[in-house]
Amino acid sequence: MAKILIVDDEEHIRLLYSEELLEEGYEVCVTDTGYELIDRIEREKPDLVILDIKLPEYSGLDLLQDIRNKFYNLPVILSTAYDVFKEDLKSVAADYYVTKSFDLTELKKRIAMALETKTP
Amino acid sequence: MIEYEENPDGINRAEIVVGIPSFNEASSIGYPTKQAGEGLVKFFGNKLSVIINCDNCSTDNTKDAFLETPTPVPKIYISTPPGVHGKGINFRNLFYKACELKAEAIIVVDADLKSITPQWIQRLGEPLLRDFDYVIPLYVRHKYDGTITNNIAYPLTRALYGRRVRQPIGGEFGFSGKLSETFLKDGFWDESVSHFGIDIWMTTIAINKAASICQSFMDRPKIHRTKDPGLQLGPMFREVTGTIFSLMITFADIWKEVRWSKPTAIFGFGLGEVERPPSVTIDEENLFKKFMKGFNSCKETWPTIIDENNYGKLLEIRDIDYNHFDFPTHLWARILFDFAIAFKNRPSDRTLILDALIPLYLAKTLCFVKKSRRMSIRQVEEFIENECMVFEETKPYLLQRW
Repeated sequence: MAKILIVDDEEHIRLLYSEELLEEGYEVCVTDTGYELIDRIEREKPDLVILDIKLPEYSGLDLLQDIRNKFYNLPVILSTAYDVFKEDLKSVAADYYVTKSFDLTELKKRIAMALETKTP
Repeated sequence: MIEYEENPDGINRAEIVVGIPSFNEASSIGYPTKQAGEGLVKFFGNKLSVIINCDNCSTDNTKDAFLETPTPVPKIYISTPPGVHGKGINFRNLFYKACELKAEAIIVVDADLKSITPQWIQRLGEPLLRDFDYVIPLYVRHKYDGTITNNIAYPLTRALYGRRVRQPIGGEFGFSGKLSETFLKDGFWDESVSHFGIDIWMTTIAINKAASICQSFMDRPKIHRTKDPGLQLGPMFREVTGTIFSLMITFADIWKEVRWSKPTAIFGFGLGEVERPPSVTIDEENLFKKFMKGFNSCKETWPTIIDENNYGKLLEIRDIDYNHFDFPTHLWARILFDFAIAFKNRPSDRTLILDALIPLYLAKTLCFVKKSRRMSIRQVEEFIENECMVFEETKPYLLQRW
Protein backbone atom coordinates (compact mmCIF):
# COMPACT_ATOMS: atom_id res chain seq x y z
CA MET A 1 0.00 0.00 0.00
CA ALA A 2 1.15 3.53 -0.68
CA LYS A 3 3.12 5.52 1.88
CA ILE A 4 1.90 9.01 2.73
CA LEU A 5 3.93 11.73 4.44
CA ILE A 6 1.82 14.23 6.40
CA VAL A 7 3.45 17.61 7.00
CA ASP A 8 1.37 19.67 9.42
CA ASP A 9 2.14 21.64 12.58
CA GLU A 10 -1.30 21.01 14.17
CA GLU A 11 -1.21 17.86 16.26
CA HIS A 12 -4.95 17.14 15.99
CA ILE A 13 -4.74 17.27 12.18
CA ARG A 14 -1.77 14.91 12.13
CA LEU A 15 -3.67 12.52 14.39
CA LEU A 16 -6.92 12.77 12.44
CA TYR A 17 -5.26 12.28 9.06
CA SER A 18 -3.03 9.47 10.36
CA GLU A 19 -5.85 7.50 11.94
CA GLU A 20 -8.16 7.77 8.95
CA LEU A 21 -5.50 7.04 6.38
CA LEU A 22 -4.16 4.08 8.35
CA GLU A 23 -7.71 2.78 8.43
CA GLU A 24 -7.79 3.08 4.64
CA GLY A 25 -4.74 0.86 4.56
CA TYR A 26 -2.09 3.47 3.76
CA GLU A 27 1.27 3.52 5.45
CA VAL A 28 1.67 6.89 7.18
CA CYS A 29 4.58 8.98 8.42
CA VAL A 30 4.28 12.45 9.94
CA THR A 31 6.29 15.57 10.63
CA ASP A 32 5.32 18.87 12.24
CA THR A 33 7.85 21.02 10.41
CA GLY A 34 9.16 21.91 6.99
CA TYR A 35 12.71 21.77 8.38
CA GLU A 36 14.85 19.47 6.26
CA LEU A 37 11.75 18.26 4.46
CA ILE A 38 13.66 17.33 1.33
CA ASP A 39 16.04 15.12 3.37
CA ARG A 40 13.04 13.58 5.07
CA ILE A 41 11.44 12.78 1.71
CA GLU A 42 14.70 11.28 0.50
CA ARG A 43 14.83 9.10 3.61
CA GLU A 44 11.19 8.07 3.87
CA LYS A 45 10.51 7.78 0.11
CA PRO A 46 6.76 8.51 0.39
CA ASP A 47 4.44 7.93 -2.57
CA LEU A 48 2.52 11.12 -1.75
CA VAL A 49 2.90 14.19 0.48
CA ILE A 50 0.10 16.07 2.22
CA LEU A 51 1.55 19.51 2.83
CA ASP A 52 0.16 22.20 5.11
CA ILE A 53 0.62 25.68 3.62
CA LYS A 54 1.05 27.60 6.87
CA LEU A 55 3.88 26.06 8.85
CA PRO A 56 5.91 27.85 11.54
CA GLU A 57 8.87 29.52 9.82
CA TYR A 58 8.05 27.85 6.49
CA SER A 59 5.70 28.51 3.64
CA GLY A 60 4.17 25.35 2.25
CA LEU A 61 4.11 27.01 -1.16
CA ASP A 62 7.88 27.53 -1.08
CA LEU A 63 8.37 23.97 0.16
CA LEU A 64 6.20 22.81 -2.73
CA GLN A 65 8.60 24.52 -5.12
CA ASP A 66 11.56 22.74 -3.45
CA ILE A 67 9.76 19.39 -3.75
CA ARG A 68 8.96 20.03 -7.41
CA ASN A 69 12.58 20.92 -8.15
CA LYS A 70 13.88 17.75 -6.53
CA PHE A 71 11.10 15.16 -7.00
CA TYR A 72 9.06 16.37 -9.91
CA ASN A 73 6.73 13.38 -10.12
CA LEU A 74 5.97 13.05 -6.40
CA PRO A 75 2.26 13.85 -5.90
CA VAL A 76 1.68 16.70 -3.46
CA ILE A 77 -1.68 17.67 -1.99
CA LEU A 78 -1.80 21.10 -0.38
CA SER A 79 -3.92 21.13 2.73
CA THR A 80 -4.88 24.34 4.48
CA ALA A 81 -7.49 25.96 6.64
CA TYR A 82 -7.21 29.12 4.53
CA ASP A 83 -8.91 28.95 1.15
CA VAL A 84 -7.30 32.25 0.22
CA PHE A 85 -3.99 30.53 -0.60
CA LYS A 86 -5.69 29.09 -3.66
CA GLU A 87 -5.41 32.61 -5.04
CA ASP A 88 -1.64 32.35 -5.06
CA LEU A 89 -0.63 31.08 -8.48
CA LYS A 90 2.20 29.11 -6.86
CA SER A 91 -0.44 26.64 -5.72
CA VAL A 92 -0.94 25.40 -9.31
CA ALA A 93 2.23 23.35 -8.86
CA ALA A 94 0.32 21.06 -6.46
CA ASP A 95 -1.56 18.01 -7.69
CA TYR A 96 -4.56 19.00 -5.62
CA TYR A 97 -5.59 21.56 -3.05
CA VAL A 98 -7.94 20.68 -0.20
CA THR A 99 -9.38 22.80 2.57
CA LYS A 100 -8.97 21.22 6.02
CA SER A 101 -12.10 19.60 7.34
CA PHE A 102 -13.06 16.87 9.80
CA ASP A 103 -14.78 15.12 6.91
CA LEU A 104 -11.90 13.58 4.96
CA THR A 105 -13.99 12.40 1.98
CA GLU A 106 -12.50 15.02 -0.34
CA LEU A 107 -8.94 14.40 0.85
CA LYS A 108 -9.29 10.63 0.42
CA LYS A 109 -10.72 11.08 -3.07
CA ARG A 110 -7.81 13.32 -4.08
CA ILE A 111 -5.26 10.91 -2.61
CA ALA A 112 -6.75 8.05 -4.63
CA MET A 113 -6.75 10.17 -7.80
CA ALA A 114 -3.18 11.38 -7.30
CA LEU A 115 -1.95 7.82 -6.79
CA GLU A 116 -3.90 6.52 -9.82
CA THR A 117 -2.72 9.24 -12.21
CA LYS A 118 -1.17 7.99 -15.46
CA THR A 119 0.19 10.49 -17.98
CA PRO A 120 2.49 10.27 -21.04
CA MET B 1 7.68 27.79 -48.20
CA ILE B 2 10.00 30.79 -47.80
CA GLU B 3 9.44 32.80 -50.97
CA TYR B 4 11.30 35.92 -49.92
CA GLU B 5 14.04 36.68 -47.42
CA GLU B 6 15.73 39.91 -46.40
CA ASN B 7 18.77 39.36 -44.17
CA PRO B 8 20.51 42.75 -44.04
CA ASP B 9 23.32 41.55 -41.73
CA GLY B 10 23.92 38.26 -43.56
CA ILE B 11 23.20 36.20 -40.44
CA ASN B 12 23.86 32.48 -40.95
CA ARG B 13 24.14 31.24 -37.35
CA ALA B 14 22.14 32.06 -34.21
CA GLU B 15 21.89 30.41 -30.82
CA ILE B 16 18.65 32.14 -29.85
CA VAL B 17 15.91 33.18 -32.24
CA VAL B 18 12.86 35.30 -31.48
CA GLY B 19 10.16 34.74 -34.12
CA ILE B 20 7.27 37.12 -34.68
CA PRO B 21 4.59 35.76 -37.04
CA SER B 22 2.50 38.40 -38.78
CA PHE B 23 0.02 39.39 -41.43
CA ASN B 24 -0.66 43.10 -41.85
CA GLU B 25 0.69 44.12 -38.46
CA ALA B 26 2.59 47.27 -39.50
CA SER B 27 0.98 49.35 -36.77
CA SER B 28 1.79 46.94 -33.94
CA ILE B 29 4.91 44.89 -34.79
CA GLY B 30 7.40 47.57 -33.73
CA TYR B 31 6.61 47.21 -30.05
CA PRO B 32 7.21 43.47 -29.58
CA THR B 33 10.26 43.74 -31.86
CA LYS B 34 11.80 46.44 -29.65
CA GLN B 35 11.03 44.55 -26.44
CA ALA B 36 12.44 41.33 -27.89
CA GLY B 37 15.68 43.10 -28.85
CA GLU B 38 16.07 44.55 -25.35
CA GLY B 39 15.33 41.18 -23.75
CA LEU B 40 17.85 39.35 -25.91
CA VAL B 41 20.63 41.79 -25.03
CA LYS B 42 19.76 42.05 -21.34
CA PHE B 43 19.31 38.35 -20.60
CA PHE B 44 21.18 36.55 -23.36
CA GLY B 45 23.90 39.06 -24.20
CA ASN B 46 26.52 36.32 -24.48
CA LYS B 47 24.55 34.39 -27.11
CA LEU B 48 24.28 34.94 -30.85
CA SER B 49 20.73 36.08 -31.37
CA VAL B 50 18.42 37.26 -34.11
CA ILE B 51 14.80 38.41 -34.44
CA ILE B 52 12.87 36.93 -37.36
CA ASN B 53 9.62 38.31 -38.70
CA CYS B 54 7.76 35.45 -40.40
CA ASP B 55 5.26 37.25 -42.54
CA ASN B 56 2.49 36.42 -45.03
CA CYS B 57 3.61 38.99 -47.61
CA SER B 58 1.66 41.74 -45.84
CA THR B 59 0.44 44.60 -47.98
CA ASP B 60 0.57 47.22 -45.22
CA ASN B 61 4.37 47.54 -45.04
CA THR B 62 4.83 45.21 -42.07
CA LYS B 63 8.26 44.39 -43.51
CA ASP B 64 9.49 47.98 -43.33
CA ALA B 65 7.89 48.57 -39.93
CA PHE B 66 9.80 45.53 -38.64
CA LEU B 67 13.16 46.14 -40.31
CA GLU B 68 13.16 49.85 -39.45
CA THR B 69 12.50 49.27 -35.73
CA PRO B 70 15.85 50.00 -34.06
CA THR B 71 17.12 46.94 -32.16
CA PRO B 72 20.50 46.04 -30.66
CA VAL B 73 20.38 42.61 -32.35
CA PRO B 74 20.15 41.75 -36.06
CA LYS B 75 16.86 41.04 -37.80
CA ILE B 76 15.73 38.82 -40.66
CA TYR B 77 12.49 39.16 -42.60
CA ILE B 78 11.03 36.07 -44.29
CA SER B 79 7.75 35.72 -46.12
CA THR B 80 5.41 33.31 -47.85
CA PRO B 81 4.50 34.03 -51.50
CA PRO B 82 1.76 36.63 -52.09
CA GLY B 83 -1.67 35.18 -51.36
CA VAL B 84 -0.39 32.36 -49.13
CA HIS B 85 -1.69 33.10 -45.65
CA GLY B 86 -1.66 31.25 -42.34
CA LYS B 87 -0.08 31.54 -38.92
CA GLY B 88 0.94 27.88 -39.12
CA ILE B 89 2.72 28.42 -42.42
CA ASN B 90 4.65 31.26 -40.80
CA PHE B 91 5.62 28.95 -37.95
CA ARG B 92 6.72 26.28 -40.39
CA ASN B 93 8.98 28.82 -42.08
CA LEU B 94 10.32 29.71 -38.64
CA PHE B 95 11.03 26.03 -37.83
CA TYR B 96 12.87 25.76 -41.13
CA LYS B 97 14.89 28.95 -40.64
CA ALA B 98 15.70 28.08 -36.99
CA CYS B 99 17.04 24.69 -38.08
CA GLU B 100 19.07 26.35 -40.85
CA LEU B 101 20.59 28.76 -38.29
CA LYS B 102 21.20 25.80 -35.90
CA ALA B 103 19.33 27.64 -33.15
CA GLU B 104 19.27 26.08 -29.67
CA ALA B 105 16.30 28.08 -28.43
CA ILE B 106 13.39 29.62 -30.30
CA ILE B 107 10.96 32.07 -28.71
CA VAL B 108 7.75 33.15 -30.43
CA VAL B 109 5.67 36.19 -29.54
CA ASP B 110 2.55 37.54 -31.22
CA ALA B 111 2.86 40.70 -33.32
CA ASP B 112 -0.16 42.32 -31.62
CA LEU B 113 1.21 41.96 -28.07
CA LYS B 114 0.95 45.18 -26.13
CA SER B 115 2.13 43.99 -22.72
CA ILE B 116 5.36 42.19 -23.58
CA THR B 117 8.42 43.26 -21.59
CA PRO B 118 12.08 42.23 -22.07
CA GLN B 119 11.56 39.83 -19.16
CA TRP B 120 9.11 37.78 -21.26
CA ILE B 121 12.04 36.87 -23.49
CA GLN B 122 13.99 35.72 -20.44
CA ARG B 123 11.05 33.76 -19.02
CA LEU B 124 10.32 32.01 -22.33
CA GLY B 125 13.97 31.45 -23.23
CA GLU B 126 15.82 30.59 -20.04
CA PRO B 127 14.10 27.23 -19.36
CA LEU B 128 15.23 26.12 -22.83
CA LEU B 129 18.82 26.55 -21.71
CA ARG B 130 18.02 24.44 -18.62
CA ASP B 131 16.96 21.29 -20.43
CA PHE B 132 13.30 22.12 -21.04
CA ASP B 133 12.10 21.60 -24.63
CA TYR B 134 8.82 23.50 -24.61
CA VAL B 135 7.85 26.58 -22.63
CA ILE B 136 4.39 28.04 -22.41
CA PRO B 137 3.42 31.22 -20.62
CA LEU B 138 1.46 31.47 -17.42
CA TYR B 139 -0.09 34.90 -17.23
CA VAL B 140 -3.18 36.66 -16.08
CA ARG B 141 -5.84 37.22 -18.73
CA HIS B 142 -9.19 38.88 -18.44
CA LYS B 143 -11.81 36.27 -17.58
CA TYR B 144 -13.56 36.76 -20.92
CA ASP B 145 -10.35 36.73 -22.97
CA GLY B 146 -9.48 33.28 -24.29
CA THR B 147 -12.90 31.62 -24.25
CA ILE B 148 -11.78 28.87 -26.66
CA THR B 149 -8.89 28.19 -24.27
CA ASN B 150 -11.10 28.14 -21.18
CA ASN B 151 -14.01 26.13 -22.57
CA ILE B 152 -12.32 23.78 -25.06
CA ALA B 153 -8.54 23.76 -25.44
CA TYR B 154 -7.50 23.66 -21.77
CA PRO B 155 -10.11 21.21 -20.43
CA LEU B 156 -9.78 18.87 -23.42
CA THR B 157 -5.97 18.85 -23.47
CA ARG B 158 -5.94 18.24 -19.74
CA ALA B 159 -8.53 15.45 -19.77
CA LEU B 160 -7.08 13.75 -22.84
CA TYR B 161 -3.36 13.91 -22.26
CA GLY B 162 -3.22 14.37 -18.49
CA ARG B 163 -1.13 17.55 -18.54
CA ARG B 164 -2.28 20.77 -16.91
CA VAL B 165 -1.12 23.28 -19.46
CA ARG B 166 -3.16 26.40 -18.67
CA GLN B 167 -2.48 28.34 -21.88
CA PRO B 168 -2.08 25.68 -24.59
CA ILE B 169 -2.87 28.22 -27.31
CA GLY B 170 -1.47 31.30 -25.63
CA GLY B 171 0.35 32.63 -28.68
CA GLU B 172 3.72 32.93 -26.94
CA PHE B 173 6.00 29.92 -26.79
CA GLY B 174 9.56 28.80 -26.35
CA PHE B 175 10.90 25.60 -27.89
CA SER B 176 14.27 23.96 -28.31
CA GLY B 177 16.05 23.54 -31.62
CA LYS B 178 15.57 19.79 -31.20
CA LEU B 179 11.79 20.18 -30.87
CA SER B 180 11.78 22.56 -33.84
CA GLU B 181 13.24 19.72 -35.93
CA THR B 182 10.53 17.37 -34.63
CA PHE B 183 7.87 19.91 -35.58
CA LEU B 184 9.36 20.22 -39.04
CA LYS B 185 9.62 16.50 -39.66
CA ASP B 186 6.30 15.56 -38.09
CA GLY B 187 3.77 14.17 -40.51
CA PHE B 188 0.60 15.17 -38.67
CA TRP B 189 0.16 18.40 -40.59
CA ASP B 190 -3.07 19.47 -42.26
CA GLU B 191 -4.81 22.59 -43.51
CA SER B 192 -6.05 23.64 -40.03
CA VAL B 193 -2.51 23.50 -38.67
CA SER B 194 -1.41 25.87 -41.42
CA HIS B 195 -3.63 28.49 -39.83
CA PHE B 196 -4.75 29.00 -36.23
CA GLY B 197 -4.49 25.30 -35.35
CA ILE B 198 -0.71 25.66 -35.05
CA ASP B 199 -0.63 26.60 -31.34
CA ILE B 200 -2.60 23.60 -30.11
CA TRP B 201 -0.78 21.40 -32.62
CA MET B 202 2.62 22.32 -31.14
CA THR B 203 1.42 21.85 -27.56
CA THR B 204 -0.17 18.47 -28.33
CA ILE B 205 2.88 17.23 -30.25
CA ALA B 206 5.17 18.37 -27.43
CA ILE B 207 3.10 16.49 -24.83
CA ASN B 208 2.81 13.33 -26.88
CA LYS B 209 6.45 13.28 -27.91
CA ALA B 210 7.27 13.42 -24.18
CA ALA B 211 9.13 16.70 -24.52
CA SER B 212 10.01 18.26 -21.18
CA ILE B 213 7.48 21.05 -20.74
CA CYS B 214 7.28 23.95 -18.36
CA GLN B 215 4.96 26.86 -17.75
CA SER B 216 6.70 30.15 -17.16
CA PHE B 217 5.27 33.07 -15.17
CA MET B 218 5.10 36.29 -17.16
CA ASP B 219 5.42 39.54 -15.25
CA ARG B 220 2.42 41.26 -16.87
CA PRO B 221 -1.05 40.17 -18.02
CA LYS B 222 -1.54 39.31 -21.67
CA ILE B 223 -2.80 42.46 -23.38
CA HIS B 224 -3.54 42.12 -27.08
CA ARG B 225 -6.33 42.60 -29.61
CA THR B 226 -9.22 40.77 -27.98
CA LYS B 227 -12.37 39.51 -29.69
CA ASP B 228 -16.02 39.03 -28.74
CA PRO B 229 -16.55 35.32 -29.52
CA GLY B 230 -20.14 35.93 -30.65
CA LEU B 231 -19.13 38.60 -33.13
CA GLN B 232 -15.65 37.66 -34.35
CA LEU B 233 -15.29 33.92 -34.04
CA GLY B 234 -14.11 33.51 -37.61
CA PRO B 235 -12.14 30.50 -38.80
CA MET B 236 -10.12 30.36 -35.60
CA PHE B 237 -12.73 28.23 -33.83
CA ARG B 238 -12.88 25.66 -36.63
CA GLU B 239 -9.11 25.50 -36.99
CA VAL B 240 -8.33 25.11 -33.29
CA THR B 241 -11.14 22.67 -32.55
CA GLY B 242 -10.57 20.75 -35.81
CA THR B 243 -6.89 20.34 -34.93
CA ILE B 244 -7.74 19.07 -31.43
CA PHE B 245 -10.19 16.51 -32.86
CA SER B 246 -7.80 15.52 -35.60
CA LEU B 247 -4.94 14.92 -33.14
CA MET B 248 -7.31 12.90 -30.94
CA ILE B 249 -7.43 10.38 -33.79
CA THR B 250 -3.64 10.41 -34.18
CA PHE B 251 -2.90 10.00 -30.48
CA ALA B 252 -5.83 7.81 -29.45
CA ASP B 253 -3.56 5.01 -28.22
CA ILE B 254 -1.87 7.45 -25.86
CA TRP B 255 -4.85 9.33 -24.41
CA LYS B 256 -6.82 6.15 -23.85
CA GLU B 257 -4.19 5.13 -21.28
CA VAL B 258 -4.15 8.49 -19.49
CA ARG B 259 -5.95 8.79 -16.18
CA TRP B 260 -6.48 12.08 -14.32
CA SER B 261 -3.84 14.79 -14.72
CA LYS B 262 -0.56 16.14 -13.37
CA PRO B 263 0.61 19.71 -12.86
CA THR B 264 3.23 20.93 -15.32
CA ALA B 265 6.62 22.19 -14.11
CA ILE B 266 6.76 25.90 -13.39
CA PHE B 267 9.59 28.36 -14.02
CA GLY B 268 9.99 31.77 -12.42
CA PHE B 269 7.78 31.15 -9.42
CA GLY B 270 5.36 33.90 -8.49
CA LEU B 271 3.84 36.84 -10.23
CA GLY B 272 4.40 39.47 -7.53
CA GLU B 273 1.96 42.33 -7.76
CA VAL B 274 -0.55 41.39 -10.46
CA GLU B 275 -1.64 44.09 -12.87
CA ARG B 276 -5.27 43.91 -13.92
CA PRO B 277 -5.79 43.12 -17.61
CA PRO B 278 -8.10 45.45 -19.56
CA SER B 279 -11.71 44.34 -19.58
CA VAL B 280 -13.26 42.45 -22.49
CA THR B 281 -16.86 43.08 -23.45
CA ILE B 282 -19.12 40.26 -24.61
CA ASP B 283 -22.58 40.71 -26.11
CA GLU B 284 -24.43 38.09 -24.06
CA GLU B 285 -27.79 38.43 -25.79
CA ASN B 286 -26.10 37.84 -29.12
CA LEU B 287 -24.62 34.59 -27.79
CA PHE B 288 -28.08 33.50 -26.66
CA LYS B 289 -29.69 34.39 -30.00
CA LYS B 290 -27.05 32.46 -31.93
CA PHE B 291 -27.53 29.42 -29.69
CA MET B 292 -31.31 29.50 -30.19
CA LYS B 293 -30.87 29.90 -33.95
CA GLY B 294 -28.82 26.69 -33.86
CA PHE B 295 -31.98 24.71 -33.07
CA ASN B 296 -33.19 25.67 -36.55
CA SER B 297 -29.99 25.71 -38.56
CA CYS B 298 -28.69 22.46 -37.02
CA LYS B 299 -31.98 20.64 -36.47
CA GLU B 300 -30.94 17.91 -38.89
CA THR B 301 -27.25 17.79 -37.98
CA TRP B 302 -27.31 17.78 -34.17
CA PRO B 303 -29.34 14.56 -33.76
CA THR B 304 -26.86 12.74 -36.01
CA ILE B 305 -23.90 13.85 -33.90
CA ILE B 306 -25.16 14.17 -30.35
CA ASP B 307 -26.06 11.10 -28.28
CA GLU B 308 -29.82 10.78 -27.77
CA ASN B 309 -29.74 11.38 -24.01
CA ASN B 310 -27.49 14.41 -24.39
CA TYR B 311 -29.71 15.78 -27.14
CA GLY B 312 -32.71 15.40 -24.84
CA LYS B 313 -30.88 17.47 -22.20
CA LEU B 314 -30.08 20.07 -24.83
CA LEU B 315 -33.76 20.41 -25.67
CA GLU B 316 -34.42 20.98 -21.96
CA ILE B 317 -31.87 23.81 -21.97
CA ARG B 318 -33.66 25.39 -24.95
CA ASP B 319 -36.74 25.75 -22.81
CA ILE B 320 -34.96 27.61 -19.99
CA ASP B 321 -35.51 31.37 -20.20
CA TYR B 322 -32.57 33.71 -20.76
CA ASN B 323 -32.34 34.91 -17.14
CA HIS B 324 -31.99 31.38 -15.79
CA PHE B 325 -29.90 30.06 -18.66
CA ASP B 326 -27.47 27.28 -17.74
CA PHE B 327 -25.37 24.78 -19.68
CA PRO B 328 -24.04 22.17 -17.21
CA THR B 329 -20.38 21.37 -17.69
CA HIS B 330 -20.85 17.59 -17.62
CA LEU B 331 -23.30 17.94 -20.54
CA TRP B 332 -20.90 20.26 -22.41
CA ALA B 333 -18.08 17.73 -21.92
CA ARG B 334 -20.24 14.86 -23.19
CA ILE B 335 -21.42 16.85 -26.21
CA LEU B 336 -17.87 17.89 -27.05
CA PHE B 337 -16.86 14.22 -26.89
CA ASP B 338 -19.85 13.36 -29.16
CA PHE B 339 -18.56 15.86 -31.71
CA ALA B 340 -15.01 14.47 -31.51
CA ILE B 341 -16.39 10.98 -32.19
CA ALA B 342 -18.48 12.20 -35.15
CA PHE B 343 -15.40 14.03 -36.48
CA LYS B 344 -13.50 10.73 -36.41
CA ASN B 345 -16.31 8.61 -37.87
CA ARG B 346 -17.48 10.96 -40.64
CA PRO B 347 -14.36 12.35 -42.37
CA SER B 348 -16.31 13.83 -45.26
CA ASP B 349 -18.56 15.89 -42.93
CA ARG B 350 -15.86 17.52 -40.83
CA THR B 351 -16.58 21.13 -41.80
CA LEU B 352 -20.29 20.60 -41.21
CA ILE B 353 -19.58 19.03 -37.82
CA LEU B 354 -17.32 21.87 -36.68
CA ASP B 355 -19.85 24.48 -37.86
CA ALA B 356 -22.62 22.70 -35.96
CA LEU B 357 -20.57 22.95 -32.76
CA ILE B 358 -20.40 26.76 -32.91
CA PRO B 359 -23.90 27.55 -31.49
CA LEU B 360 -23.24 25.13 -28.62
CA TYR B 361 -19.85 26.67 -27.90
CA LEU B 362 -21.48 30.10 -27.83
CA ALA B 363 -24.07 28.76 -25.38
CA LYS B 364 -21.33 27.37 -23.13
CA THR B 365 -19.53 30.72 -23.35
CA LEU B 366 -22.74 32.51 -22.33
CA CYS B 367 -23.08 30.21 -19.34
CA PHE B 368 -19.44 30.85 -18.40
CA VAL B 369 -19.94 34.62 -18.65
CA LYS B 370 -23.10 34.54 -16.56
CA LYS B 371 -21.60 32.35 -13.83
CA SER B 372 -18.32 34.22 -13.60
CA ARG B 373 -19.78 37.74 -13.74
CA ARG B 374 -19.10 38.53 -10.09
CA MET B 375 -15.93 36.45 -9.78
CA SER B 376 -12.42 37.82 -9.43
CA ILE B 377 -9.77 36.60 -11.87
CA ARG B 378 -8.51 34.08 -9.29
CA GLN B 379 -12.02 32.85 -8.50
CA VAL B 380 -12.51 32.27 -12.22
CA GLU B 381 -9.30 30.23 -12.26
CA GLU B 382 -10.70 28.02 -9.51
CA PHE B 383 -13.99 27.75 -11.39
CA ILE B 384 -12.14 26.63 -14.54
CA GLU B 385 -10.15 24.10 -12.51
CA ASN B 386 -13.44 22.61 -11.30
CA GLU B 387 -14.74 22.50 -14.87
CA CYS B 388 -11.60 20.63 -15.91
CA MET B 389 -12.22 18.09 -13.16
CA VAL B 390 -15.67 17.49 -14.65
CA PHE B 391 -14.01 16.81 -18.02
CA GLU B 392 -11.61 14.34 -16.39
CA GLU B 393 -14.49 12.61 -14.61
CA THR B 394 -16.46 12.42 -17.87
CA LYS B 395 -13.60 10.81 -19.81
CA PRO B 396 -14.92 7.23 -19.31
CA TYR B 397 -17.91 8.29 -21.47
CA LEU B 398 -15.49 9.13 -24.30
CA LEU B 399 -13.57 5.89 -23.84
CA GLN B 400 -16.77 3.91 -24.02
CA ARG B 401 -18.07 5.62 -27.17
CA TRP B 402 -14.80 6.14 -29.12
